[in-house]
Amino acid sequence: MRLQVRFFLAWFLSIILLSIGNVSARESGVLSGEVLDVSNSEPLPGTNIYWENDVSTGVVADLDGKFQIKSVSLPARLVVSYLGFEKSIRTITQNDLDKPLRFFLKPEEMSLDEIIIIERRPDEQVKNLETGKATIPMETIRNIPALFGEVDLLRSLQLLPGVQTAGEGTTGLFVRGGSNDQNLIQIDGAPVYNASHFFGFFSVFNPDALDQVKLYKGNMPASFGGRLSSLIDVSLKSGNNEQIHGEGGIGSISSRLTIDGPLFSDKSTFVISARRTYADVFLKLSSDEDLQNNKLNFHDLSGKFSFVLGEKDKLTISSYEGADFLGLDESFGLGWMNWVSSAQWNRNISEKAFFDLQTYHSKYNYRVEFDDPDNGFEWKNKLSETGVKGQWTLLRGESVQTYWGFHSQYYRFAPIELVPAANSNIQPISTSPKNGVLNNLFAGMTYEISPKLSTEAGLRWGFYNQVGKGVDYIYSTELPESSDDITDSIQYNSLENIKFYQGLEPRIAFRYLINDQFSVKTAYNRNFQYVQIASNSSAGLPIDRWILAGTYVPPIRVDQVSVGLFHNFDENRWEFSVEGYYKDFRNIIDLKNGANVLFNDNVETEILVGNGWAYGAEFLLRKNIGKTTGWLAYTWSRTWRKIEGISEGQSYNPRYDRPNDITLVLNHEFSPSWSAGLTFVYTTGQAVSFPIGTYVADNQVFPLYSDLRNEDRYPNYHRMDASVTWKNADKGRKWRGSWNFSIYNLYGRKNPFAYEFRQIYNDDINYDQETDGPIVSSRPGTVMTYLFTFLPSITYNFRF
Amino acid sequence: MKRLWIYLLAISLFSCQDEVDLPLATIDGVVPVIEGTWTEWNSYNVVRISLAQNYFDTTDRQIISEARVFITIPGTEKIIPFSYRPESFSFRPVNPRDVAKVGEIYQLFVEWQGKVFSAKGLMLEAPTVDSLTYEFQEERLFREEGYYIKVYGKIPFEEDNNYRIRVIENDTLKNDRDDYLLFDDTFGLKFFEEGLELGYAFEPGDRVGLELYRMNRDMFDYLSQLVNLLFSDGGLFSPPPQNPDTNIKVIRGESEVLGFFLVSPVLRENIFIRVDK
Repeated sequence: MRLQVRFFLAWFLSIILLSIGNVSARESGVLSGEVLDVSNSEPLPGTNIYWENDVSTGVVADLDGKFQIKSVSLPARLVVSYLGFEKSIRTITQNDLDKPLRFFLKPEEMSLDEIIIIERRPDEQVKNLETGKATIPMETIRNIPALFGEVDLLRSLQLLPGVQTAGEGTTGLFVRGGSNDQNLIQIDGAPVYNASHFFGFFSVFNPDALDQVKLYKGNMPASFGGRLSSLIDVSLKSGNNEQIHGEGGIGSISSRLTIDGPLFSDKSTFVISARRTYADVFLKLSSDEDLQNNKLNFHDLSGKFSFVLGEKDKLTISSYEGADFLGLDESFGLGWMNWVSSAQWNRNISEKAFFDLQTYHSKYNYRVEFDDPDNGFEWKNKLSETGVKGQWTLLRGESVQTYWGFHSQYYRFAPIELVPAANSNIQPISTSPKNGVLNNLFAGMTYEISPKLSTEAGLRWGFYNQVGKGVDYIYSTELPESSDDITDSIQYNSLENIKFYQGLEPRIAFRYLINDQFSVKTAYNRNFQYVQIASNSSAGLPIDRWILAGTYVPPIRVDQVSVGLFHNFDENRWEFSVEGYYKDFRNIIDLKNGANVLFNDNVETEILVGNGWAYGAEFLLRKNIGKTTGWLAYTWSRTWRKIEGISEGQSYNPRYDRPNDITLVLNHEFSPSWSAGLTFVYTTGQAVSFPIGTYVADNQVFPLYSDLRNEDRYPNYHRMDASVTWKNADKGRKWRGSWNFSIYNLYGRKNPFAYEFRQIYNDDINYDQETDGPIVSSRPGTVMTYLFTFLPSITYNFRF
Repeated sequence: MKRLWIYLLAISLFSCQDEVDLPLATIDGVVPVIEGTWTEWNSYNVVRISLAQNYFDTTDRQIISEARVFITIPGTEKIIPFSYRPESFSFRPVNPRDVAKVGEIYQLFVEWQGKVFSAKGLMLEAPTVDSLTYEFQEERLFREEGYYIKVYGKIPFEEDNNYRIRVIENDTLKNDRDDYLLFDDTFGLKFFEEGLELGYAFEPGDRVGLELYRMNRDMFDYLSQLVNLLFSDGGLFSPPPQNPDTNIKVIRGESEVLGFFLVSPVLRENIFIRVDK
């Protein structure tokens, strides 16, 4: 209604002005132009245009958004103003009189949190049924100070309560005591097997390409499953159906560009996004010739195409491809790549019934090449997951919502192959392939029992088969301990059953609304996981060995109970929550001392199986509205493992056990042009093993460790990052740029990345026998490696 | 491979290093370290016993001389006694003619302060080394410019292919963490027939000695784990550090024990890098 009034006023004023003025478009001393909405290039009739120093001579744009205004003494500042849009002020010179000007006005910018409040009810956290779920708006993620200025989705999620990091700078997530491979990270419903670039220092997500991210810390709906500890559900942005838009940035180590718009008609859209680093360009500038010949880069490429097929049907196709490459001296190369694609068909059967069908394919592969006349080789591996998922949703009145469906997954883990180069003296290696089929049925219901009490109940039933083509080994011992104990092997044909597991995964949650601002929630979840990484390092590597559940490796399982109090206050400007949880892990694996799993066809002989548990309390105070937004989070948590063969069979903490974790995230908008962000992180140090002594063996001095694992701690970790963003004053131009200046580790805290316990020769930790002369002294010492102290970066971002 | 990761990380990360003081726990009680080597060469046959000490303890390492040390051949009455030699701080066979013979299983016993430690090993047949050659090589990835030695030989065995090569350059044993040259048949053994290049750049005039050991798997695993420990930087990409799994067992008394009992043939070869080559 308000828009109609505006149009009428504009039309009326235009008629009046035209009848009075009747000005020629090229009349001398007259400035002409048009005013458009930057979001869709639609004209903005009724816009006020006036000279800043002479308000009385203002005009109003006509129905086409066009205007003419008599010039004053130039240069002078012209103000273009329209209700609901940001005011534009541009300095006009004599030259501007000769050409028609276009002013693009931007709708008045609300903080993204306010937009979120439009998307989710202000009292959402109190009234919904979800516990352990967190969202961070993409705009908030963009405002968080970033390492190298690279806005990073996964690193931002680490700032939420209950989410731990492996260590400095890495993007691995450890959610409520779960390991990194227990996170299901998916892009538009398709899983990503290695969500990191550059050994985990950056995640694969280009922030410009993303629409939203949801983090479920274990309490996920029955329609999702397959991983124990979290679901990180990332959606790619859809294109707009009105005109071509773009955004991007030029950063310290990478640049990115995203283009979106209509495709063929307003019924279909596209968005294409790309990002590439240029570290290798800097390497070429190095004075060190060895570094000049190295390559170091990664890129991301994603696209999403949406088609409205009719009133009831929509088809969406999306794809992501990202790859890393490290090359040394043209002799050695290591590359890895994710390629994830999905297609989704959404049908509105009726106003109350919906059907969604999704199919996807996710592939991950790595390759290592070594060019050497004697020992050259190519070592490669590939794994993939293909799936189809159908879900029906039925709304029955306002109090009942039901859904049910199926999800079928086919895992194909190709053999690890080492192929010698021509004339190489090493022999080829090939492990046997591993394949699995997981079929899931799921159903769930949300039911409002009373205005105060609601429940969500779901059940997921997984049927897993390890299938051929492959080989299974028979051991003479009860548990596979050594390949020497193999007595026989059985070959299986394609899709022939090798081992079957099934598991029921109940999910139930209750919410009791104490009042409009206060609720209590509780939930119980059970999850099974049939794929995992066989590794005992804390950070993921691109060559990590993924293994499937099989004859000797049972699926891992977790049961989680959680309870939470949720409170909103000050008219929902503030949110407060406290959640407690307890998790019981079964069949967790670790590796034996000195285990070799990379080229081993009998990985089961290197694995130890046990249990674990984790518990904690998460406190979150969050402000969503206003000039200052952000949150303060505190998590107290413990994580334990108990695996026979490790730590003398006693319980121990994995490295990522961090009892205390405090996070502060702040963003303040000083003016339309200036804003600033600040984050502070404080956590208990990592649980590690320090040596207790030394001993001599084989003419070497070795550190002596306790038989108990991770009895020691790194010093507590803390760090503050800050950023300032300056947006160019809006001059009504379509191109809008902003500068972001970030500092990682503002006060230069030397947080340990690693401690090395070794002999220090000649009191010099960098002693080199070839250049520093003979050894005159030797003593045991501790050398700390630390990264990223006071690391500034600058990024230019733009939109058009 | 570990060196490679470290190199990659070093070039790619903004890392710095400082020496720091960390409060460390100390050893509870005493932990004996037994190093036993038993070969077909008398000069190599030795048992050393020492004690582990606290990490920052820089006093002289405590050597155990008051112990009873002997080797038996299970299934026989044969006992090979050892006696302590103060000049080498080690135990040596009383009878220098007692040496390892191929095909025999030997069991080491160490009695100390009422505790008995023991380990077994099978003396394996040595492979054949046909020749050593050397050739000048330009600088390559991870290899400096210099003269590189190749070892040509034959390994005709189907199992127990666990080898170590030790290199002695001008009477100095190369004994840095980079110097452990361990290999098994994971990647085949063709490279040994085609010429195994030692990873050292030698200079003209160098006298190079080479020792090739063929050991039991538990000993090979022990050395592999030692090397892992030497390369462990304690960081996220390293597995949690653990003491290597010793093949020595405590058969009487309660005690921890560290060390190894190596039973192995030793093939010894020498080569001189001539200036005029």
